[in-house]
Amino acid sequence: MALRELASLEKYLGLKKPNKYSTQGDKKVPVLQNNNAPPLVGLVTIACHLAKEAKRPELLGDGAEGRAVVQQWLEYRVTKLDGHAKEDTRSILKDLNLYLQDKVYLAGNQFTLADVLMYYGIHAIVLDLAVQEKEQYVNVARWFDHIQHHPGVRHHLPPVVVLRNRLYTSRHH
Amino acid sequence: MALNLTINTSDPPLGVLLAAEHVKNAVQVSVEEGKDNSLHISDSIQFSDANSICRYLARVAPALGLYGANMMEQTEVDHWLEFSARRLCDQPDLTSALGDLDKALSLRTFLVGRALTLADLSVWAALKDRSDWPGQGKPFPHVSRWFFFLNSQAPFSAVGTKYGRQKS
Repeated sequence: MALRELASLEKYLGLKKPNKYSTQGDKKVPVLQNNNAPPLVGLVTIACHLAKEAKRPELLGDGAEGRAVVQQWLEYRVTKLDGHAKEDTRSILKDLNLYLQDKVYLAGNQFTLADVLMYYGIHAIVLDLAVQEKEQYVNVARWFDHIQHHPGVRHHLPPVVVLRNRLYTSRHH
Repeated sequence: MALNLTINTSDPPLGVLLAAEHVKNAVQVSVEEGKDNSLHISDSIQFSDANSICRYLARVAPALGLYGANMMEQTEVDHWLEFSARRLCDQPDLTSALGDLDKALSLRTFLVGRALTLADLSVWAALKDRSDWPGQGKPFPHVSRWFFFLNSQAPFSAVGTKYGRQKS
């Protein structure tokens, strides 16, 4: 899974030469062999490295605060979202829904790597949601739909249908 | 083709200025200060209504997609131009209009399609003029998210600081 994500990220970033990855351990942690440097280990580390390689530093956040927020969500992705227990799905969606209420992107007003990796990570959850649930987590649905249509992001993943008008407004107000 | 835009300095048309700012790399638009809003295209053709000027500017720069990507989006853009002219400008009470706007924005980042259009420019401009729109937050979370997101984008902050203050 992580390897397909990295391949998609490379395409999004427009990197010409695809890298060769291997995995390590039971959890299949991705490893990037670096020609003249020690190997890079871990999804987030490699993703940040690719963004720098593609000369897209703005994807890692603007200013000290923006960079900290991006790192926080990258960490959230690998620690909380990946391998979460089934019963935690609701609380993840609830928290994210609250957080995204007043934001277009995870780092506020700017598209970053955090949006890309969180989108890849949460795709399976959103794919499983019923129409009514997508409306219950309306801010997640809106953010998700916006990111999946961001040019070049959605490579290996099927599109998820998100209605653009609400059907159940009376219940959730 | 060079276009000549004259604006009313005592009440600058923010939506028109934003549209001009967006198309400036595609068409040459010069902005002059004066007493009335008008877009001078040729000696026989001039537009003086803000919506007409916006529509014309969006149409001369089709590559920017300010008028939407297809016929349905064009119709939606028209809807929002009408909405901002009728229900946001010169209305004493905005509550019901903002309620409708909030509902429309709950699942959208931009008003029409997935990119910026005239709809966003014109509704944003109408709200920017109304510093009094209730609460700027709590009752209409989706409107304020959308409003402050646009505020943070370069052309909006440029036009907002340059002309927004002349009004208040």
